[in-house]
Amino acid sequence: MLELAIGIILGCCALGAGLAMIAGIGPGIGEGNAVAKACEAIGRQPECKGDVTTTMLMGCAIAETTGLYALVIAILLIFVAPGLLVDVLMKTIG
Amino acid sequence: MKKVNETVKKETLYIAAFTVIFSVIAEAVFLILGRWDLTVLLGNLFSAFVAVLNFFLMGITVQHAVEKDEKGAASLMKMSQSLRTVFLFAAAAVGVMLPCFNTVAVIVTLFFPRVAIMIRPLVDKFSQGGKKDE
Repeated sequence: MLELAIGIILGCCALGAGLAMIAGIGPGIGEGNAVAKACEAIGRQPECKGDVTTTMLMGCAIAETTGLYALVIAILLIFVAPGLLVDVLMKTIG
Repeated sequence: MKKVNETVKKETLYIAAFTVIFSVIAEAVFLILGRWDLTVLLGNLFSAFVAVLNFFLMGITVQHAVEKDEKGAASLMKMSQSLRTVFLFAAAAVGVMLPCFNTVAVIVTLFFPRVAIMIRPLVDKFSQGGKKDE
């Protein structure tokens, strides 16, 4: 029974980490679209290249943070949460 | 190999400077809370290096992407983002797993570039205000 409970905890943590990483898809698509539009803008007004690059860099860094949140959640679920939850289970059982 | 763009250099320096400032503040907070030890410092340094390197790599990718056509730029950016996510995952996993790094210090420091960007308008406002005064 205990093995089953630990197995469920580990399985759910892994599943949660996998689900959290779905959020990593968004920033890639968003950054790709942003850079594509920036290329278009630079093509129209080449003299604005510096300004466009600066704004785009900052925008990409902000977009990437959403992926980073997911990454941190996934890492915590994989490396930290199983140990904590198994400890709680052991204490509850006694 | 192409030279690194001045804009990328400037922005990376800005991010690096603010990451260092925030790292010092984080160390001070750990010290005040009475939880400071060498693992906090090591975790902070490791994570700050990873965060700045990630931003720099993104800058290099953007520099290459703006010279391509729309489709090529989008696909290059998507590929770069995926690779950098894997790099960040590996680095954060190392930071969390190794006992010589403090987990909280490693994770919190990864978000410092975002905070630096958030306060960017304020910094710009102050620097422009200073120039106007001169």
